[in-house]
Amino acid sequence: MAHSSSILDSLGEEILRIITPVSICMFLVVILVSILNSNSSSSFSVSSIATIAYSESTSDSDWDKFIGALFNSLAFVFFVTLATFILVLLFYFRCTRFLKLYMAFSAFVVLGFLGGEISLFLVQHFDTPIDCVTFLIALFNFAVVGVVAVFMSKMAIVVTQGYLVVIGILVAYWFTMLPEWTTWSMLVAMALYDLAAVLLPVGPLRLLVELAISRDEEIPALVYEARPVNHHSFDARTDAVTQRRLWRNRRIGDDDDDDSNLNVNSVLNSNMDEENVLTSISNTNDPGRIRGDINLVRENASSNSNLNSNTLYDRNLVNVEEGQVRETDTDVSTPLIDRGVTVRLHGVEDSASSESLMLEGIGLGSSGAIKLGLGDFIFYSVLVGRAAMYDFMTVYACYLAIIAGLGVTLILLAVYRKALPALPVSVALGVLFYFLTRLLLESLREVIYNFYELYIIDS
Amino acid sequence: MEHNNNNNNPNRNPNPIRNPLSSSAPVWPTIDGALGLTEEDSVSYARNFYNFGFALLPLLWAVNCFYFWPVLRHSRSFPRIRPYVVGSAIGLTVFTALLCSWALTFSLGGERLFGPVWDQLVMYNLADRLGLTTWS
Repeated sequence: MAHSSSILDSLGEEILRIITPVSICMFLVVILVSILNSNSSSSFSVSSIATIAYSESTSDSDWDKFIGALFNSLAFVFFVTLATFILVLLFYFRCTRFLKLYMAFSAFVVLGFLGGEISLFLVQHFDTPIDCVTFLIALFNFAVVGVVAVFMSKMAIVVTQGYLVVIGILVAYWFTMLPEWTTWSMLVAMALYDLAAVLLPVGPLRLLVELAISRDEEIPALVYEARPVNHHSFDARTDAVTQRRLWRNRRIGDDDDDDSNLNVNSVLNSNMDEENVLTSISNTNDPGRIRGDINLVRENASSNSNLNSNTLYDRNLVNVEEGQVRETDTDVSTPLIDRGVTVRLHGVEDSASSESLMLEGIGLGSSGAIKLGLGDFIFYSVLVGRAAMYDFMTVYACYLAIIAGLGVTLILLAVYRKALPALPVSVALGVLFYFLTRLLLESLREVIYNFYELYIIDS
Repeated sequence: MEHNNNNNNPNRNPNPIRNPLSSSAPVWPTIDGALGLTEEDSVSYARNFYNFGFALLPLLWAVNCFYFWPVLRHSRSFPRIRPYVVGSAIGLTVFTALLCSWALTFSLGGERLFGPVWDQLVMYNLADRLGLTTWS
């Protein structure tokens, strides 16, 4: 059937257009980690907010490390909550311009300083004879064009998406430099915080989303938006008619002629180290044409010294129609990349705390494309990067777990149609698979070594 | 019955760029097509990108050329945008040629060409001296 096959095609294509950048981000972080960490065993650790309570050193006992990591992650969650509430306050008082400027500044600091540090690491590792003039010009270009790309409302989509992924990679790599126990406890703490902040009525992410919905505004944050899947050629001469694929929900008993309402919860992933909140809210305005806005807000706080609050704001068009849709509502006819979101990234130099406003959550953009907050990119990549520090088997297992978690999150959203935190599922599966694989590898190594001792050496 | 009209017309060109007068002249000046800018907005964007590129930002010129690729390709359309994009392309090639020649001279020439200054200019030594790679 033309309808169902094309819906499946478009659904698969949309999901693929979100999974691809997430996978690229994770892959590049793994490569960075394996290149730069091959010699040292993180002999220096970053001091930041995430290690404010306790600085892990290899000589401590396991119990001390565990308690220290717990305190670290609690402190981190506390700072992220604080940052998120500040964000809600600023948004409430309509300080949007300040937020956007702050985000542009953060993006510049991340791309310039963090990018510079990491490329210096690479230059030192490969002994590239680059001179400082060329290096500085290249870095300056990279940072400025990056800020323009994420900050300005209209830029080449590929460039914007690329820069968002790069920001995710840089921040995620920086996070993998945290001590090990702190990283894992921070991931778990962030997942739990995400759960709390989305589901509890006093949760800051929930407040933010409801505020944004009531005002019909976009939350300023960094959000990755996928290119919308467009299966139809459209008449370029008439701007009023745009074809796009909207999500269609078939009600049981509806025949094909009716418009059906489909509430699809899109998860906006924003980079917030702390929270990932998916909220989906669907509104149906009129029975004839169903439009639902599902806002998924996820806040992730990221960066050790930074409080990252990510809130993803995603509006899903509930109506999925094939064919031409006449767009009367200006919101709907705005082009794909909505520049309403900005991300604030703080510099992570020294012990300066940087705050990232990165939204987490998946949602649908006003043109029907999937939006993913940068926070999710970062946390997934941190998990996989940490797994890469042990062995590549854990990388494969964690990657599969995260992608599965992403799929489960989408399914849960479609089923429950309300605000759901998106990070916990993936992080839970990822952490579980990491420790299982590690345990398995250790026992396998024991077995092989014993076998070697018994049979190979003696004979 | 909701059917996509295009399903019934397999000959319809999936390429959104169409013009009743000429089949090759694009309507949208940006590479994103209908998702990008209109022609009126594009003029100010192209002009800003071109002007700011003079602040040692050849990447901005490159982005300008990439974004307005249809303007470069179709030489007779978009007469208002075209001078900026062509200027960006020329500036990009000149700047890249200069920068690449300098970088290659530096890296290939090495100490033989520059003498002791090379050690002072090369990036990894500079990073060690200034302590740029120690985090905190």
